[in-house]
Amino acid sequence: MKPLKANSHLVLLLRVGAFLCLAGWTWVHFYWEGPYGVLLWQESSQALAERVGIDWDEFVGTGANDGLVQRLIGFTSWFYLGATILTVTVRKKSYLQMMGLLGGGALLGILAYARFVGAQSQIPMLVEHGGQVLAPVLLVLALHMGARHRVTIAAAMVAMMMTFIGHGCYALNLWPMPATFQAMTTEILGVEHETATSLLWWAGILDFVVCVGIFLKVSRRSCALYAAIWGLLTAIARPVAGMSLSLNYWGADQFIHEAVLRAPHYVIPLYLFLVWRRSDELETVAGDSKTEIGPDGCQTAGPGKITRSPID
Amino acid sequence: MKFIKWLTISALVVLIAGVAVSQQKNQKRKGRAVLSVPKVAKKDLICFALYTVHDNILKLTAQLYPLAAGDSRIVRLEIKKEGEWVEVARTKAIEPGWTAPFRVEKWNDSKAHEYRVIHEAGATYTGTIRKNPVDKGEVVVAAFTGNSIHPAHGGDISRKDIIENVKRIDADVLFFAGDQVYDHFKHYAGWLKFGRDFGEIIKDRPTLCLPDDHDAGQPNLWGESGKVSTLGGASDGGYARPGVYVQEVERAQTSHFPDPVDPHKIGQGIGVWFTNLNWGNVDFAILEDRKFKTGPAGRVPKQGPRPDHIRNPEYDPASVDVDGAILLGQRQLKFLDRWSQDWTNTEMKVALSATIFCGGAHIHGGANGRLHADMDSNGWPQSGRSRALSALRKGFAFHCAGDQHLATIFHHGLENHRDAIWSFCVPSIANLYLRWWEPLKPGANRETGAPDYTGDHLDGFANKVTNYAAANPEKKPAGKLLNTRSAGFGVVRLNTKKREITMECWPRNVDITDPATKQYAGWPRTISQFDNYDPPSWGKLGEMTFDVENPVVQLIDDLSGEILYTVRAHGKTFNPGAPKGRSFTVKAGKNEPSTVILEKAEVGAGSRAIRLK
Repeated sequence: MKPLKANSHLVLLLRVGAFLCLAGWTWVHFYWEGPYGVLLWQESSQALAERVGIDWDEFVGTGANDGLVQRLIGFTSWFYLGATILTVTVRKKSYLQMMGLLGGGALLGILAYARFVGAQSQIPMLVEHGGQVLAPVLLVLALHMGARHRVTIAAAMVAMMMTFIGHGCYALNLWPMPATFQAMTTEILGVEHETATSLLWWAGILDFVVCVGIFLKVSRRSCALYAAIWGLLTAIARPVAGMSLSLNYWGADQFIHEAVLRAPHYVIPLYLFLVWRRSDELETVAGDSKTEIGPDGCQTAGPGKITRSPID
Repeated sequence: MKFIKWLTISALVVLIAGVAVSQQKNQKRKGRAVLSVPKVAKKDLICFALYTVHDNILKLTAQLYPLAAGDSRIVRLEIKKEGEWVEVARTKAIEPGWTAPFRVEKWNDSKAHEYRVIHEAGATYTGTIRKNPVDKGEVVVAAFTGNSIHPAHGGDISRKDIIENVKRIDADVLFFAGDQVYDHFKHYAGWLKFGRDFGEIIKDRPTLCLPDDHDAGQPNLWGESGKVSTLGGASDGGYARPGVYVQEVERAQTSHFPDPVDPHKIGQGIGVWFTNLNWGNVDFAILEDRKFKTGPAGRVPKQGPRPDHIRNPEYDPASVDVDGAILLGQRQLKFLDRWSQDWTNTEMKVALSATIFCGGAHIHGGANGRLHADMDSNGWPQSGRSRALSALRKGFAFHCAGDQHLATIFHHGLENHRDAIWSFCVPSIANLYLRWWEPLKPGANRETGAPDYTGDHLDGFANKVTNYAAANPEKKPAGKLLNTRSAGFGVVRLNTKKREITMECWPRNVDITDPATKQYAGWPRTISQFDNYDPPSWGKLGEMTFDVENPVVQLIDDLSGEILYTVRAHGKTFNPGAPKGRSFTVKAGKNEPSTVILEKAEVGAGSRAIRLK
């Protein structure tokens, strides 16, 4: 047993997840544009601007130049870049950096809200971003409280559930399924519409099954593993379906970031799988050497008691 | 710890339930309409019916509400002959979509017929198949686009004003240029609502509805011959919704069109419907400007925050006119080539499509979103635009379209300003998304007293355009009102006697027959049919006097062998325009240009008499 090394791997995993997510969105902000137009270019924002004494042209630009809105969106890109760097540099006692990372999570929250509004206020759109929004938060929790701490694990479970519930709601057509779901399935698997619909329906069922399954000890590891694999497949489905040798840069600038920013969709379940694998192994060992393991998988007593992660 | 587990599971259940409940509340939220298929009595199972008559073939599609499992799928079409109802066709309602398409050959269009569609459950729907208005002298087209139903911008306001106005002017043809349905998932429910709103005028006159991007369930559409689109926004080209969904949409909206001239299907089993409708001696080309068009993502160098938007005014327009990018595609260009030469029973030609052949707006969205160019418009790809306009001007075709949410009049240019056709982009029925034509520099060669935004311009793709009118909405977001958002509809009067085209642009909720009612600034405008290909640099070949009325005249370039144009002359005299310094072979005939009447003709040749009898 090498708990110290295992814990550092877990933190590294969460670090990679948060990094990829924020890096992907940084790319979107710098290369394309953040999805905030739907929040800022509307009558209520006009009223707000005028109430605080900002001229409308100054707020949205004259057309020939940028206004406050465009500059604000431009600044956001730099905040994303900063948060991305923090995922690499943050250490256990770097509280300021941790605050910065939490700010990155807040930025992702605003972004999720903008996407929610842009999707005609469909709740699953907001919910499915939970995994991404919580990715930097999980890293902070893992560093501060420990990668095996029950709060970190619980937060990871919530993050994973949000992603899968959001996807599941769409896949089961509880809300209108985004056209890209079916299109990607058709394009990658080469199946007809009916088959794609059927496959997605079953995938939606499994999305909910794993959300319940991770609460049952007997099934949590297999559910987390399935979620990691499915999360990875759905993330890479974008470039796989869309990229082509005939496109500029093979379409990489259009599609790669779509997979990258979805890293938490498979990294968080993988993290849970590894956490629970270790815990179950420890439990097996405990059965032999009377080590006490808590219900959340944390070792609570015994010869090699882990109270919190020694190194993160 | 069991307690914590169950607490978490309970929280999960509460979360899901909460989501469902809150979403229900959201659906009732002010600003968005909730679409559903209403339950109707058996006698009301037929919602509405659309038809066209072309080349003595009647095509009529009855749109049904859902039939119950035990209901017959058979629907019958009857017409009244000498006071008796006589069955002329029967068909089976097609699922999904519950459309019942009829096709009746040897149709006598020289008189009007009362018709009724019957379903044995007790439903009957009646209307009138009009007489072909060949002797009317003026074909009136009422034209619409952008039928948003959302309350946030007045979409919930009754269409009664439109119905009344169409009845007042007794339009001969209705043209819905696109976005009849904005819901991306429930076309059937949206289409039924469209039928409930407009069925009263549709049932009695030929109607053309072109399914555009929103009808097909996506925000923009570059069809790429039926490819599957996987990129959000669909700018990678293709259809975002499944092929079967698109097929249902097209079946509902276009199955009553004249038979497609080239019916080979495209990807995903999606059909094609580009064709022509000859009505009242006006030959309408019905174009699919979205279906074959290439998607820009990954094809053109990135120039803005979206693959289809160009923000950088310093970019090189030639850089986005990439090899292989298609607009109308070869199949439609071939059709246009034949169509422009065929003047059988035709005095004027009109092209109908979803959108116009230029970037027709500068500012997009609710505030100040200046875009240098938008590849959703038919200004891109430029080479495709050139091919389309070259084909259309060979038949002196006038162009009517929608999509832009901004009414405009443009005179298009290819080699020079004003050397191609005119277009009228009609305003939206209810304006979901505001746009403004607001060039940064005043246009050149403006008419006296005309606004700065008129005149000769280059659009964002460096296409030559001359603006004559733009019904710009109010500058700031304008709340619920329709007319501050420049909603309305267009009327095109095609005077076959005078060969004149009059464009009218009306706001909503007015009586357009009241002399006090004003149109949007810049309208009405009347042009000659011959203005659709009359470059300022051209001269005249010399007046020809024929011994027949309205002969068809064709000019062929002696050097290239290409047809310069084919047109039906107005009256017995015709003075053909032509480029200076080139020679032409002139052909003419009563109904087709079958006789060479002049060789090596050049600008400045004298007048002459031509015998065709």
